[in-house]
Amino acid sequence: MTTLTGVGSTPLSGAGTARWYRPEADLTLPDPPEPSAVDADAELSRFEAARDEAREAIRRARDRTAARVGEDEAAVFDAHEGFLDDPELVGDVEDAIGDGVVAEHAVHDRFAAAIEQFEALDGRMAERADDLRDVRDRLLRALLNVDGLTDLGDLPDGTVLLAERLTPSDTAELNPDAVAAIATVAGGRTAHAAIIARSLSIPAVVGVGESLRDVADGDDVLVDGTDGWVVVDPDPAERAAADADEAAAIAERVATADGRPVEVAANVGSEAELAPAADRGADGIGLFRTEFLFLDREAPPSEDEQYEAVTAALSAFPDDRVVVRTLDVGGDKQVPYLDLPSEGNPFLGRRGIRLSLDEHRDLFETQLRALLRAAASEDGDGLAVMFPLVSRLEEVDAALDAVESAAADLDAAGVDHAVPELGAMVETPAAVFLADRLADRLDFLSIGTNDLAQYVMAADRENDGVADYHDPLHPAVLRAVDRTTSAAAGTDAWVGMCGEMAGDPALTELLVGLGLDELSMSAVTVPAVKERVRAVDAADATALAEAALACETRAEVRDALGLDGD
Amino acid sequence: MERTVTVVPEAGLHARPASKLVQAANRFDADVSIGRADDGDDGLVRADSMLSVSGLNVGHGESVRVVAEGADAEAALDAVCDLLTSAVDEGGESGNDGDGEAE
Repeated sequence: MTTLTGVGSTPLSGAGTARWYRPEADLTLPDPPEPSAVDADAELSRFEAARDEAREAIRRARDRTAARVGEDEAAVFDAHEGFLDDPELVGDVEDAIGDGVVAEHAVHDRFAAAIEQFEALDGRMAERADDLRDVRDRLLRALLNVDGLTDLGDLPDGTVLLAERLTPSDTAELNPDAVAAIATVAGGRTAHAAIIARSLSIPAVVGVGESLRDVADGDDVLVDGTDGWVVVDPDPAERAAADADEAAAIAERVATADGRPVEVAANVGSEAELAPAADRGADGIGLFRTEFLFLDREAPPSEDEQYEAVTAALSAFPDDRVVVRTLDVGGDKQVPYLDLPSEGNPFLGRRGIRLSLDEHRDLFETQLRALLRAAASEDGDGLAVMFPLVSRLEEVDAALDAVESAAADLDAAGVDHAVPELGAMVETPAAVFLADRLADRLDFLSIGTNDLAQYVMAADRENDGVADYHDPLHPAVLRAVDRTTSAAAGTDAWVGMCGEMAGDPALTELLVGLGLDELSMSAVTVPAVKERVRAVDAADATALAEAALACETRAEVRDALGLDGD
Repeated sequence: MERTVTVVPEAGLHARPASKLVQAANRFDADVSIGRADDGDDGLVRADSMLSVSGLNVGHGESVRVVAEGADAEAALDAVCDLLTSAVDEGGESGNDGDGEAE
C-alpha cells in the first residue's frame, strides 16, 4: 500500500482501476519494412479497418458531446469525419500503400504534409491542423493497437482516471457513473475542471505531483477526496475509513457550537442539480446561475420559460432562500446569438451587469419581469436576486431603477408580482471599496471569491503561469473579504460567499470568523461544511480570523490555519 | 455548368459551413469543384474534399465559382450554392438545413 498526497477537490471517495489519460501519447512508428516485403492488399484492408474504427469513435464522441455539452461543440466532429473520408487524403494514402509503404507510415506521411500546409496559413487554419492531428492519431492508434485512452466519455465502469491535468471540456465529457474518481498530477481545486468534477460529484484529488506518475494502468487505486489522498493497493481497512470520512447529509439548518447560525447553501447551474442539492441538505440556493437558460440554443429564453425555471428552483426549496444571479455572460462565457464583441482582455471588458444595463438591456428587463413574477408565486417569499460584476454605485442605482420600472409595468398590466430581496456580488476590488455604500442600498452582498481573487491579485484564473497567485488565502484577498464583511456589519445587509473558497471545509472556521452569514458551494461539499460549522466555536473563529488577517504571506496564513505548507 | 456566388456565412468556408458543403457535394453523382472566382480553372479544387475546401481559406464576402458536371449537376449546384449564400453561422441556425438533409 502506497499513499500519495494531493489536494482534495471533491470531498467524496472512490476506488477502482487506474487508467491514464494521455492525450499526447507518443505514437512512435516502427521502422518501415522494405517495399518488396509489403503486402499491399493486406495494408489496404488494415487502413480500411482503422478508418472504420476511427469513424465509429468520432461518431460516438459527436453524439456524446451534442447530448452533454451542445450541438455547437459537437460540430467539430463533423469536420473530423470529413477529413477521415477526404477523397484526396484517402487516395494519397492508398497510392502510397500501393507503392509499398505500410499503412501507418502512409498515414503518418500524408497527414504530415497536409498538417504542414494548414499550419502555414493563418490562425483559423491552424485549428484545422489540430483537427487533422486528432484524426491522424485516431488512425495511428487503431493501426498500432495502442490502447490510448482518447474517449473520455466511454470509460469502463470503475475507472479511476489519472491525468497530468484535465481541461474543462475533458471533464465535461466524463460519465459520472463510470468514473469512480479522478486524480491529477497538476491543477488546483479552483480550476474550472475541478469545479465541474465537483458539480458532477466525481471524487477528485488534484495536484498530487510527480509521484502520481508511478501509478500504473490497471493498479487498484483509492481516491479519498476528503483527506486529499491517493492510495495504491489500498487494504480493506483503508477503504472503509475513506467511506466513513464522507460526511452524511444534515437536513436541518446548522449553527456553531455556541449557537451562531450559518446558512450552508448550494451553487446550482442547471435544473438537474436542484434535487441532488436538496438531498445533500443544502439550506437553499446561494447562487442560481441563470446562464444555462441561455446556452445551447439559438435565441434567448422567453419570460415565461425563465419564470418556470425560477419557480422550479423555489419549489425545490420551499422553506429556503433561492438567490438568483442575473445573466452573467462575457468574459470566458460566450453566447453565440448575443454577438458579444471579441475583446483583447475579456475579463476586463463587457461582462455581467455592464451588458445588462447597456447592449443587452432588453434581456435584463425580460429577466427582471420573470423574477418579479416568480417572487409573487407560491414559494416566492424566498427569492433573492443579485447582480454580477458590480463596480460602480451608478450600476446598482440603474439596476434598482430597472427593477422599479419592471414592477410598474407589471402593475399597469395587472400581473401579480413582488419585489424580491436584492443584492450585489462582490467580485471586484471596486465593490470591496464601496461595500459600505452597497450595503446601504441593498439587502445583501455575496462575495464571489474566484473572480475576487483573480481581480485582487491581477491573475487570470485560466493562466497556469499565475496559478500560484490565484488563491483566496493570499493576505490581500483575505483583507478584501474582511473589509466587505466589516463594511456591512453595521447595516441590515447580510453577507454571503459563493466562491469555491466557501466549499472548503478546511476554511469554514476562518470564514465564520470573518463574519460570513451564508456560505454557498457545490452541493457535494455541503454535508462536510455543515459538519464543520457545528464543530466551530464563534469566539475561537474570530480569534483565528484575526490571526490570519495579521499574517503577511500566504505561507503564514496557511500556517495560522494549521494547513500543510504549499 | 457553373455558377459564381458571394460567400455569405460569417465564418467563410471554415468549420461548420465547410463540413456542410463537403457533405452536400458528396451526396451527388456529379463532380463538383469550387474555387475563387478570380483564380480561373487553375484555382478549382474538389468540393467533396474537406482538405481542399478548407484549404481554400475562403472568407465571408469573397466571390467563388462552383462548377458541376454529371447527371445531377443542376441539383448539386443548387445545393452547394444554397449553402454558400445562406447566413448559416457556426451556431447552425439555417432555414436550409432541412432542404439539404432531405436529399
